[in-house]
Amino acid sequence: MHMANELISFPVAGVSIGIAGGVLGWICKSIRQDIVSEKAAVMGVLGAFVFAAQMVNFQLPLMPGTSGHLIGAVFLAVILGPHLAAVVLSSVVIIQCLLFQDGGLLAIGCNLLNIAIIPSYIGYYVYRLAAGNMQNKSRYLAGAIVACVIAALAGSAMVVLQTTISGVLLIPPVLFLATMAGVHLLVGIMEGMITVAILGYLASVRPDLIAGLTASRAVLSRNGALISLAVMTLITAAGFSLLASDKPDGLEWSYLERPEQPDFKPVVANSDQRMDAADKLHSKIAVMPDYSLGNTSELHSASAGWTSVAGIVGSAVCMGLIWLTAKLIRPRRA
Amino acid sequence: MNQAIEISNYSYVYPDGTMALDSINLTIQHGERVSLIGPNGAGKSTLLLAMAGFIRGKGTVLIDGMELCSRTLKQIRAKLGCCLENPDDQLFMPTLFEDVIFGPLNMNLPPQQVKDNVDRAFETVGLTALAEKAPHHLSAGQKRAAAIATVLSMAPQIITFDEPDGSLDPRNRKRLEEVLGRLPQTLIIATCNMRFAAAVSSRVIVVDHGRIVADGPAKSILYDKDLMEAHGLEIP
Amino acid sequence: MHHAYLDKYANQNSFFHRLDSRVKFLAALIYTILILSIPPRSAAVVFCYVVAPFGMLVWAGIPIGFVARRILAVSPFVLVLALSCPFFDQTPYLLRLGDITFQLSGGWMRCFTILAKFAATMLTLFALTCTTRFTDMLAGLQQMQCPSILIVQLSFVYRYLFVLVDRVHHILRARAARKLRYLGLRQEIRIAAIMIAALFIQSLESAERIYRAMQGRGFTGSFHALKPIRINRRDIYFIFVFIGICIFLHSIMRIWLNELNGV
Ligand SMILES: Nc1ncnc2c1ncn2[C@@H]1O[C@H](COP(=O)(O)OP(=O)(O)O)[C@@H](O)[C@H]1O
Ligand SMILES: [Mg+2]
Repeated sequence: MHMANELISFPVAGVSIGIAGGVLGWICKSIRQDIVSEKAAVMGVLGAFVFAAQMVNFQLPLMPGTSGHLIGAVFLAVILGPHLAAVVLSSVVIIQCLLFQDGGLLAIGCNLLNIAIIPSYIGYYVYRLAAGNMQNKSRYLAGAIVACVIAALAGSAMVVLQTTISGVLLIPPVLFLATMAGVHLLVGIMEGMITVAILGYLASVRPDLIAGLTASRAVLSRNGALISLAVMTLITAAGFSLLASDKPDGLEWSYLERPEQPDFKPVVANSDQRMDAADKLHSKIAVMPDYSLGNTSELHSASAGWTSVAGIVGSAVCMGLIWLTAKLIRPRRA
Repeated sequence: MNQAIEISNYSYVYPDGTMALDSINLTIQHGERVSLIGPNGAGKSTLLLAMAGFIRGKGTVLIDGMELCSRTLKQIRAKLGCCLENPDDQLFMPTLFEDVIFGPLNMNLPPQQVKDNVDRAFETVGLTALAEKAPHHLSAGQKRAAAIATVLSMAPQIITFDEPDGSLDPRNRKRLEEVLGRLPQTLIIATCNMRFAAAVSSRVIVVDHGRIVADGPAKSILYDKDLMEAHGLEIP
Repeated sequence: MHHAYLDKYANQNSFFHRLDSRVKFLAALIYTILILSIPPRSAAVVFCYVVAPFGMLVWAGIPIGFVARRILAVSPFVLVLALSCPFFDQTPYLLRLGDITFQLSGGWMRCFTILAKFAATMLTLFALTCTTRFTDMLAGLQQMQCPSILIVQLSFVYRYLFVLVDRVHHILRARAARKLRYLGLRQEIRIAAIMIAALFIQSLESAERIYRAMQGRGFTGSFHALKPIRINRRDIYFIFVFIGICIFLHSIMRIWLNELNGV
């Protein structure tokens, strides 16, 4: 789920870019130099591998025409360890933005956190916790499934958290969370099954490969790993407490009635403080004033009037002219 | 004067137990152009990897009189350039220019010489106009030429090529023959194509099952029908 | 992302393609921020912001049809979320056009604004990415102090993306030619997993050969900086025009919105 610019507010965008940039910068600074020279090619190729692997789809039952595919975060985290996996997945997210235009420029911080950094750390540590010391095969395969599900849920919870704090959307957070969690539970289970299938197959045909890669996973000191885990937990916990401490159903509803027209059916309006705060902040940063909201007991008047029409028509004419000039210039150039 | 390459009693076993090279003895003079021919799986690629020090087996390898070991590896890599089988492995930077300049920059040469080397390499293979292109926008023939340029820019004395004619059409193969013909270096070329071997080399070494089974002037070996057919090859 | 020439437009040559990547990157960032700062109930205003990136794309010779298709392809998530707005805010607004008036709920206005902003910021992102070669972008990012490990990582991923995508196409074709019906989820997953595992092994093997090629050319662990880029006169022109457009749009919008509020 790539976050778009429009779904988050500036503070959320700024803070998440700060956190993601900080985590990435810190990893890049503390990876040992010998690991860099030895692993540069492997990490690069595995980044490209993620794109290629995501193209291998499998048909889903019951819903003809739909297909699932590997996302790869937990797989990479298991293979490379969380730090290198976070770097590889971050490069994937950046390329998705700058080459495939998936995810907005300002939302890149959120996307780095939700898709790259959080899944690789949470996925890895949940996996290690569940899998133990990898002696028991069925246990470590089960661990991989659990890790995939939890990583997918964590990523989707972050999406809800970020949009809710931003106050751009009007969906009650609990409803949104439930929907996202439901969808991502399925996504996580699928991801877990395919990840386990790949790991199991690799362990049976090339046990040397898996062992060789997992042996050299310790790229940061033990303290570094602990600190990073602590920081991730803190961020997530802070986010959830923010979400939970709010009103239980998230939004407060107010019913408007028009006094002069008693038969007018009541309408739902929402008077969420968070939303209002976001709007107010917006109009403060925006320099531009919003439509005045006026008294809620009256119909809001946003009479865009002729100026709006003029603006739209004017822009359309401009674009038409630009297109025409380009058409006229092109043959001469060729 | 030193020999370009001297290999004595060299054997190599892959970790899975495959005996890929079996007591190889081989001497190559400076300025020679040698083809290594043999069926698939004969050990040609492995022999080239051994020359460049990517694998270590039993026996000794001397490059320009210097014994190959981890201490001398850097100096030897500057003397011996190797062009891998798949150009996609060789061209790992995002543009050709960055790829060709990669080697010279690592050799700490003065900037002017780096520039000269790069320009000369591009000129030799005829890709000057495409320097800013990304490798995935090149044709197979251009990729092959570019892979050669990345080695040429380091100005080595000896260059090894692993099946440089693979997946080339006749016209591109002709061009490659011309490029190789222009190079003044010692060349060692592994190939399965006898016509190509005849065009680019004066000496031919036949390898099979990890051993050298014949070594001599290209004309006499390549046209020895019995020898060639005994090792799954053909006359040009 | 379905063929190796996905970035072909970035390799064209036009005034915009020749601009410094840092200038374009910062311009796109600022323009995105401007668009996002438009208040949440003013879809019509966003429309005027579309003109500039549209013009840049058209004059740079990028087919608008291609851009539109790509934007549609990445839009589903935003689309669904934006369409949820009307359910949760039905505060009525009155729109007046001369004598004609009609009523629209606040949720719909929000929804339209989100979609309009999405289209506008996506066009801006396309104006950046379709006129900038990825390698130039990397050189720019490197000069803007992006960690070199990340730059190396990005350049490797970009380079091998096309190689592996080609390879996966071949594998998928081989499967499509032989898998003629649905095999049940278990079997489907098993086949996909085997394909991915094969791809993974191939990827690791090529990484090993690449590492060999790097060592063969004297690699010792540090990458040398890409060639430096400099701002030239073309970039200065662009910066002035860009600032002019931003100021123009902003002041027009202000007057317009003030007038609306006055009504
Ligand atoms: N990485 C490897 N691991 C194990 N065996 C290998 C490996 N590479 C090559 N071999 C084996 O070594 C032998 C020689 O291979 P190679 O040098 O690639 O032959 P050629 O290049 O002449 O076709 C073959 O039997 C091949 O199967
Ligand atoms: Mg070979």
